[in-house]
Amino acid sequence: MKGFLRRLLMKLIAGLVMVWVVATFTFVLVHSLPGNPGDIEYDRLIMQGTPPEIAQAKAAVVAGFTSHEPLLQQYFGYLGQLLHGNLGVSISYSGVPVADVIASAAPWTVLPVLSGLVVSFIIGVAGGVIAAVKRSTRWGGLLTLSGSLMAGIPSFVLALLLAFLFHTLWQILPYGDTSDVTLTPGFNGPYIGSVITHAVLPVSTYALLTYGGWLLTMKSSVVSVLGDDFILAAELRGISPVTRMRYIARNAILPLFTVLAISVGYMFGGSVLIEDIFDYPGLGNLLLHSIGRRDYPLMGGAFLLITVAIILANILAELLYSVIDPRVRRA
Amino acid sequence: MSTLAAARARRSPWRVTRRVLLRKPGRVIGLAIIVFFTLMAIAGPMLYPGQLAVDPDNIYASPSGAHWLGTDFAGSDVLQEVIVGARYVLLTAAISALVTAALGTTIGLVAGYHRGFTDSSLMRVTDFVLTIPGFPLLVVLSTIWNFGRPLEMGLVLGVTGWGGVARAVRSQTLSLRERGFLEAARGLGLSNTHIIVRELLPNIAPYVAMNLLLSVIGFIGAEVALFFLGVVPFTSSNWGVMLNEAVFAGGAINSPQALSYLLAPLVCILLLTLGIVLFLDAIDELFNPRLRERS
Repeated sequence: MKGFLRRLLMKLIAGLVMVWVVATFTFVLVHSLPGNPGDIEYDRLIMQGTPPEIAQAKAAVVAGFTSHEPLLQQYFGYLGQLLHGNLGVSISYSGVPVADVIASAAPWTVLPVLSGLVVSFIIGVAGGVIAAVKRSTRWGGLLTLSGSLMAGIPSFVLALLLAFLFHTLWQILPYGDTSDVTLTPGFNGPYIGSVITHAVLPVSTYALLTYGGWLLTMKSSVVSVLGDDFILAAELRGISPVTRMRYIARNAILPLFTVLAISVGYMFGGSVLIEDIFDYPGLGNLLLHSIGRRDYPLMGGAFLLITVAIILANILAELLYSVIDPRVRRA
Repeated sequence: MSTLAAARARRSPWRVTRRVLLRKPGRVIGLAIIVFFTLMAIAGPMLYPGQLAVDPDNIYASPSGAHWLGTDFAGSDVLQEVIVGARYVLLTAAISALVTAALGTTIGLVAGYHRGFTDSSLMRVTDFVLTIPGFPLLVVLSTIWNFGRPLEMGLVLGVTGWGGVARAVRSQTLSLRERGFLEAARGLGLSNTHIIVRELLPNIAPYVAMNLLLSVIGFIGAEVALFFLGVVPFTSSNWGVMLNEAVFAGGAINSPQALSYLLAPLVCILLLTLGIVLFLDAIDELFNPRLRERS
């Protein structure tokens, strides 16, 4: 137990260092970006047909949000604010704290990603076991091929194909936004139903994207455990198939925790593309939006949060791994 | 003598390769797809030099005898556009693969061979590269640097994408390190450079090749995606630019008018992915003798 706590502490420290490096990186990046947000806002307003005087006044407000202190001072100020969970003020949302903008977008990324993860885990693991047991048959081979292919298909290709098939061609699923815009958000049947049907396409995309990883890892893992001596020994000693299956499952499921970390990372990273395609107001869409509007604080915040999510997933995966596998715990 | 020659001939790499390839039809298909797209990338721009023909009277035409895959928003032939666009996609993927192979192999070899402090510090860096979300990073980077040209795009993809290869090379090096022939090489007092370059490198090359093919799938996806999102300025037409115009300008999701324009690049990417996945299976067996002997 003591060793476990030390491990946890080490992981957390390593994670914190990583967050610090990423925060510094974002800071440097944001401050080497071309284009002044005030100018961008001015150009945008002019493009929209706003009279120059009004546009100038509005752009001046935006420019007021950008700091003019020396860089080093800004850097330490930024880190200090970060410790308080303060990510600065968004420019394109005229002065709303970045943390609030992100908090309102985060559920639209986290919920679909998590539901997609659960679905793909169930299908992928079940498929992996079947692919392992039936590996010499044609169906087993096809199952494995489906996994390799799904693991390889770029996320946006899949998203576009799904949107095209289910929305454009067969017209059975809605597309774009989180719900029907005519409905009032709240805890009522039609709204929730609309949210669910709008989520089907993004969630299936996330699920299909990571399905391959689960399937392939589970398959190779089950195959290697099946060949282990202790399984043969258990069989020879007459241990019941149910118990044997439990041994196999417990050992075979281990490598899946590394896939968990990869999957979460892949989904959060892929959310940029998938949310853009499905016009879903999550973190990825926020990142793209902030880039288009040169909203540096928002961009830095969204990128930082996506990275932190992945670092957390990595730590979680390793901890789960050590809880489940005693060999790792002792080492 | 003759039996010896025959035995040598039977074991010649070309024969083994052919036999492994022909064992499953999927592998031949995979190789054929890869060769097909490579030829398309080499010959495509030569077949249709200069700007693509524009025909304002014939925009978003359906597939017909004159335009096999229909036309786009400017009346250009979609088939021609796909063929010409292949060069950018494959050239960039090849450059990024080279960069990844060089960086990943060097770092993985050095880390795995020297172990200790070198290993742990190099692996920290590798972990970092692996953890940073690649695609969002590319999107953010695109704001400070327009890496639209093939060489720059390949460099950026390669520099951000070598983590997986380095990991694989390191773990392979760690296990090779304990083998007899390396112990012998060290016992003979051969230099580290000699051991790494002449003894280790040939043995890990297959793993590099496999992991590289896997990364190439990712690189193709990422580069096309960057153009699709429109965060990298368009310098020439490629599959990503086509997708961008089909979805955001042509409204392909809501109306089927840009249908073939949308589907053509998508199918190309899918086919290329399928080809690489199928071919990987053959490489796996070629370099993994245990798999070969069993069947």
